[in-house]
Amino acid sequence: MITININGKEIKLEKSVTVLEAAKAAGIKIPTLCWHEQLGQYGGCRLCLVEIEKIPKLQTACTLMVTEGMVIRTETEQTAEARRGMLEFLLINHPLDCPICDKAGECELQDLVEKYGAISGRFREKKRKIPESFADPLIVRNMERCVMCTRCVRMCEGVQGASAIGVIDRGGHSHIEPFSGGRYDCEYCGNCISVCPVGAIMSRMHKHSYRPWQVTGKTETICPYCGVGCTLVLQVRDNTIKRVIPRIGSPVNNGLLCSRGRFGYEFVGSKERLTTPLIRKNGVLEEATWEEAISLVANKLSDIKAKSGSDAIAGIASPRCTNEDNYVFQKFMRTTIGTNNIDSTARMGFAGAQAFMENIFGQGATANIISGLANSDTVLVVGGDPTTANPIFGLQVRACSRKGGNILTVGQMKGLEYFNPVKADPFLYTEEVLLEGIVTALIGKKGLPGANLTLEAKIKDINTSLDDVEKKCGVPAKELARFVDILAASATPALLIGKEIVQSSGASYKLLLLSAINYLANGRIYLLSERSNEQGLLDMGCAPDLLPGYRPVASAEFRKRYETLWDTKLNEKTGLTIFEMMDAASRGSLKALYVMGENPAFNLPNSSAAATALRNLEFLVVQDIFLTETAKLADVVLPALSWAEKDGTFTNMERRIQRVRKAVNRGGMEDWRIISDISKNMGVKLNYADTEKVFHEIAAVSPLHRNLTYEDIEDGHAIYPYKGEPLRDVMEEILTSKGKAARSTGKLYLRIERPLFHSGTLSTKAPALVKIYSRAVARISAETAASLSLDEGDIVRITTKAGAIELPVSIDKAADSSTVMLTNNFEGQGAYSLMEYTIDPVTKTPVLEGVEAKIVKMTGT
Amino acid sequence: MFNETVLKEIKQISGKYPTTRAALLPALYVAQREFGHLGADAYEAVSDVLGVPKAIARGVGTFYAMYKHKPMGRHIVQLCTNVSCMILGAEKLSDFLKNKYGLEPGGITPDGRFSLVIMECIGACGTAPAMLVNDDFYENLTEKYIEEILEKYK
Repeated sequence: MITININGKEIKLEKSVTVLEAAKAAGIKIPTLCWHEQLGQYGGCRLCLVEIEKIPKLQTACTLMVTEGMVIRTETEQTAEARRGMLEFLLINHPLDCPICDKAGECELQDLVEKYGAISGRFREKKRKIPESFADPLIVRNMERCVMCTRCVRMCEGVQGASAIGVIDRGGHSHIEPFSGGRYDCEYCGNCISVCPVGAIMSRMHKHSYRPWQVTGKTETICPYCGVGCTLVLQVRDNTIKRVIPRIGSPVNNGLLCSRGRFGYEFVGSKERLTTPLIRKNGVLEEATWEEAISLVANKLSDIKAKSGSDAIAGIASPRCTNEDNYVFQKFMRTTIGTNNIDSTARMGFAGAQAFMENIFGQGATANIISGLANSDTVLVVGGDPTTANPIFGLQVRACSRKGGNILTVGQMKGLEYFNPVKADPFLYTEEVLLEGIVTALIGKKGLPGANLTLEAKIKDINTSLDDVEKKCGVPAKELARFVDILAASATPALLIGKEIVQSSGASYKLLLLSAINYLANGRIYLLSERSNEQGLLDMGCAPDLLPGYRPVASAEFRKRYETLWDTKLNEKTGLTIFEMMDAASRGSLKALYVMGENPAFNLPNSSAAATALRNLEFLVVQDIFLTETAKLADVVLPALSWAEKDGTFTNMERRIQRVRKAVNRGGMEDWRIISDISKNMGVKLNYADTEKVFHEIAAVSPLHRNLTYEDIEDGHAIYPYKGEPLRDVMEEILTSKGKAARSTGKLYLRIERPLFHSGTLSTKAPALVKIYSRAVARISAETAASLSLDEGDIVRITTKAGAIELPVSIDKAADSSTVMLTNNFEGQGAYSLMEYTIDPVTKTPVLEGVEAKIVKMTGT
Repeated sequence: MFNETVLKEIKQISGKYPTTRAALLPALYVAQREFGHLGADAYEAVSDVLGVPKAIARGVGTFYAMYKHKPMGRHIVQLCTNVSCMILGAEKLSDFLKNKYGLEPGGITPDGRFSLVIMECIGACGTAPAMLVNDDFYENLTEKYIEEILEKYK
């Protein structure tokens, strides 16, 4: 116990901390400028100078550790004088342009000068003149205002790990710049904006559009983009979101944001938003009233149900909608319509991978706390770069490396390149052999633990030596041996699984191998998730085989419980997956489809075939916020409210349930309310007074969410397994299906690029994100470019069995020479439109491996 | 990008330091030799070899005044103008360079042959005025002598 005295107040401390922290804990504020709670010690601004007895000179409180008996005075004439002096120095160059500076009102320098003065400067030299830089579309730099606290640089390097900006030049000439000196070439997390204490680095998005004190509403909600579930604070003025900022201390993202979360909000106010229902009349979508649209949908669905049976109707739920929306939707499909034909794009990988892993390790196997990842001693990453798929989660991997953890990667991970990864980079499509090699070596090193005999029976005969791996995958045996040694020696390993491996040939067998690695290394699993409520919609029962809370539809015993609660008879037939729906639609056996907040004509592989299937339907209803590719094919389009306009909950990839809150007003209805109106018109009441009432029912119906309330969620107690009952110990046989390595040399294969700046097509409606990543490009290696004599920006035609599109090429030094990377974000130029697929028999995920592509340069461009 | 020999040289330098970041200064010297000065290409090349983010390489490089930060002539004339040299006419020599060769302090001849850098004391006060051309040392300079010297550098 250390006893110190600050300003005459006796303070007892458990362990030695800095004077600043000790004062803070005692409620004494010491002024700072370069110090920031997310960054390390720096001691640069000299504003936290304090008097300490028996030390002749003033000391910086942010770097000095307290010792027994220390007597500290934080506000004396001497400290005030010193602070005034430091501020006078800063004002030599800092312009007094507060009246036109957006920071005024929340500027730390302004507040400090207001308190300590430097009423008049004694320097006669002119202030330095550096023109404000508008070279970047999103971040504006005003280096006249910079006080060189270097918070931005330390944030960029030490927390974000992007190291995109630095202090350039020296002394009075020093300033902050991205490498290019103009436009940023960075991850656009904007965390430099968050930490800048003055108006030197600011967002261009809301420049001169409001003052900090004019914000009328601050709403804390959850990001609509990926499965990490970051807390966002939406600042609103005139019913418009002006700015998105993080909150320090929030779970998951703790004061950090990524580009999508920070800059991707403008779709909410987009002029392209749907405002009124549309009904197809004589082949054209025409504006209609809500009454008209809802009664049409109700009548049409009733007719089809009567004529062709309930199972001729299907529904696609949305990983961007709230739990409440999805719950009401599946209840509508199961009770009002009477079918289990409900699924979502979680079927693209997440659902199958999770079910496979949970069968082996028990329900909740993937519900691991995100912030805990940084404390792992080893992180193994497979199947996708977490720093682009789930950026804030990716920061945990970087933090793990910084803390001395080992990062093991299978395949290229650009975002982890500077974090000392130990790499195993096999030839394209040979991961299976590599994983077998790792399993064999791990069994050799650690033996079979005997805890899960079913799993062991499946893996005990795997025998692939490191030399085999070297021969088939091109990963040197020595390097892989080191890789396995690290894994075997790890006490707290974590396994990160991305989508690419789940969408590869023999996905179930690879998942078995990954499960084996996890089992042998005694690790924990994280499944990357690209949508904000991908987990939640599965929890809510938006799956053809599972009821809310993961109770199988096929079991009469479980069904009975829901039948009692919902007061209806449930269909016992397992429904169609999203892919089976497309097949059934093109065969004609599926007559009607209700799509809520999803875009199957773009987001499913072989999307043109999906569009054809959708055209073949007798009746297609699309409920969305934009007129998507799918909505354009619909018979009725219903405009929904976006995430910022409604209340509800999202469940993130670690299965934390968090509150989504309404920030701006807009006429219209939440998704669940539209559905309940339709249901009412079909004679079945699904009435709820508000969103919270829906959640009450979820908590009553889903055994997993038993008795959970909004208060629990707001108190931060909604972490898996909540207070509910996960379904345990019902392990089924582990089925796997091996893949066929579909690779031959000299061919080009089309693969999906999952860019940091986009998520589905939603982000392309956010102008800021489009400014950073503005168009689809075919990313090829320098070798491929050379062999086809292509230059950056040349227009090419990419042709596969499924179709062809034309777009510019971009040459990527680090790209694999046998692949063409293409995103699936830009309308008319999605990679999925070029990808035919087969379905993995076990995980029911599409196999997107081995899509051969030809590239031809377009002449005359 | 560097050629194989230079890559090897930098790798070797980097091997002497505990971290790759610590090898930045000597690696930047190599890059300066190869590229003539430290510009975007040089920083990127060093960043690629050492695996140090390029913004950091640039931050380090620009901190030091003795790296060359802009394109230089093939030969670099470094003329001392500190007290002893000044008294013995270094400033006149500087004017001579300007009038005869179009070479201003910090500048470059139009043909790209010479750059002129005004140096701080090079420790040759006893034989002032003095200068360096590249790594060669010359003292007791006169206008005529400078003409002769510069003839040697094409």
